[in-house]
Amino acid sequence: MSVTTTQIVGLSRERRRAKLRQDLYRDRYLYAMMLPVFIGFFVLFRYVPMYGVTIAFRNYRIIDGMFGSPWVGTRHFERLFRSPEFVLILRNTLLLNLYQLIFQFPAPIILALLLNEVPKPGFKRTLQSVMYVPYFLSWAVLGGIIISLLSPSTGIVNAIIQSLGFEPIFFMMSTRWWPVVFIVSGIWNSAGWGTIIYLAAISGIDPQLYEAVRIDGANRLRQTWHITLPGIRGTIAILLILNLGRFIDLGFEQVWVLQNPAVRSVAEVIPTYVYRIGLQAMQYSYTAALGLFQSLIGLALVLTANWTIRAMGEEGLF
Amino acid sequence: MVQTGSRTVTVLIGFFLATVALLMVLPFINVIAVSFSSSRAIVSNEVTLWPVEFNLRTYQNLYRDGNLIRSLQNSVILTVGGTLLNMVATTLIAFPLSRPGLRGRKVFLGMIIFTMLFSGGIIPTYVLVQQLGLLNTFWAVWLTALVSTWNFFIMKTFFSTIPASLTEAAAIDGANDVYILVRIILPLSLPAIATLTLFYAVGHWNSYFNVMLYITRSRLHTVMVVLVQMIRSVDPQLLETAADATELTRFMTPEGVQAAAIVIATVPIMLVYPFLQKYFVKGVMIGSLKQ
Repeated sequence: MSVTTTQIVGLSRERRRAKLRQDLYRDRYLYAMMLPVFIGFFVLFRYVPMYGVTIAFRNYRIIDGMFGSPWVGTRHFERLFRSPEFVLILRNTLLLNLYQLIFQFPAPIILALLLNEVPKPGFKRTLQSVMYVPYFLSWAVLGGIIISLLSPSTGIVNAIIQSLGFEPIFFMMSTRWWPVVFIVSGIWNSAGWGTIIYLAAISGIDPQLYEAVRIDGANRLRQTWHITLPGIRGTIAILLILNLGRFIDLGFEQVWVLQNPAVRSVAEVIPTYVYRIGLQAMQYSYTAALGLFQSLIGLALVLTANWTIRAMGEEGLF
Repeated sequence: MVQTGSRTVTVLIGFFLATVALLMVLPFINVIAVSFSSSRAIVSNEVTLWPVEFNLRTYQNLYRDGNLIRSLQNSVILTVGGTLLNMVATTLIAFPLSRPGLRGRKVFLGMIIFTMLFSGGIIPTYVLVQQLGLLNTFWAVWLTALVSTWNFFIMKTFFSTIPASLTEAAAIDGANDVYILVRIILPLSLPAIATLTLFYAVGHWNSYFNVMLYITRSRLHTVMVVLVQMIRSVDPQLLETAADATELTRFMTPEGVQAAAIVIATVPIMLVYPFLQKYFVKGVMIGSLKQ
């Protein structure tokens, strides 16, 4: 590639044009393969909706279409930023994400460090196989299981609580307990699966490093602290950016299945609000404004996180 | 890994991890037990990890009702059709972009990466689907998620690890790129194809948001959408209106019906679980090498 480029630089304009035509003709089958997918999917279903965010500045009506509805400027944004609900859902979105970052993000790291201490490969593999299971199940299934386990009347958790002599707890309806259920269910779903990438990173650490500190008399905790953790620092950093980049984008499916009207004050987040108000109540332009707000914050977060990681001396994502 | 340190620590760690693993699967066992128990036992909260007054009535009623069977059929159609389209489209775009000499490659890749950073959002995409007249068809679900950018990168990375000497030899013999893809690249990519097929298929089977978003006609609902509707309307303790409760919940304990539906919706995943584990771990590895 670099050789042909330097060759081309020295050529005249016509020769370069001729080379371009020649290359395009040589790769005609390749373009014939990819262009239908590129245009039919990436352009149509990714880039056209990006232009479609302009409906946030229009009064969208189905008859007028995405490009024909009348412009109304920033009216929807003004309404959005003034509404008390906006403050509430933004706060809920950020809080739930913050809890995830504090409790859910470290869970696979801790599990991986512990799994690394299991000497028998067979036992370790069995533990992993079991821990991966919840990752492969739908949130419809996981949510159903959680709600039935926690049911105050027929759930096994409350049966245990009552047998210990306490009052049953209405987990799903309590604004205090709901975020706890949300985070624990998130850990249940993905912590086991999340260990894969950390275990791979751990297995890439040079065994001689352990040998060296062991000679210095380091015990297992110190080995973990001085060798294993620094060894997987890069992996942790990369996964942290990925997480921060999604900071404002809570998974719709998990929230929706666990949500109910009694806990809306802590459980309503941007995507569920967009779905409820935008699609069920058909306020397209208003919620498109909220969606655009979310996308822009999301973009800023990924770029900031990537820049931070690079400044720390790790390899960024792009 | 051989570590110095006391045996007690090893045993304690093993015990702790075993407890965590057990806590992760016990809920499933409880749900399976509930699905095979009698309504009386469920309501009086007697079921723990083994069915009480074992019977198949809930399953029989679910079968007779027909709604769940139809939703399962829809799930199968959506999953099989969607996965096929995903694989064809992902291959067709990943192969050309894995060729280093392709003109415009950087621009195409840049545009694809940008879609991971910024999106129009739910509403503009929905409006587009509406304008294209795709609402209430599976095409809406299939086309809006035709290529997962993540899977595209896994496929592209895999293709680019195939030695160039193999394709160059064929090119000198006059083979065109279609021939090279079908006869040389694809037969060497079976592990990647298996991995991505599973990635896509599990995604289709499990997801409910896109179906709920684009398909309002209940005859076209998949099993996960039906399950979510059940869950959100089932618990009498919750204030949710029972307006969208299905017929099913009227003649049986809702808890039992829900448990049976959960078990049925999970069976296909459990059947492919051994493969899932093997190939998914591989997929995560390929994916983490680059990007």
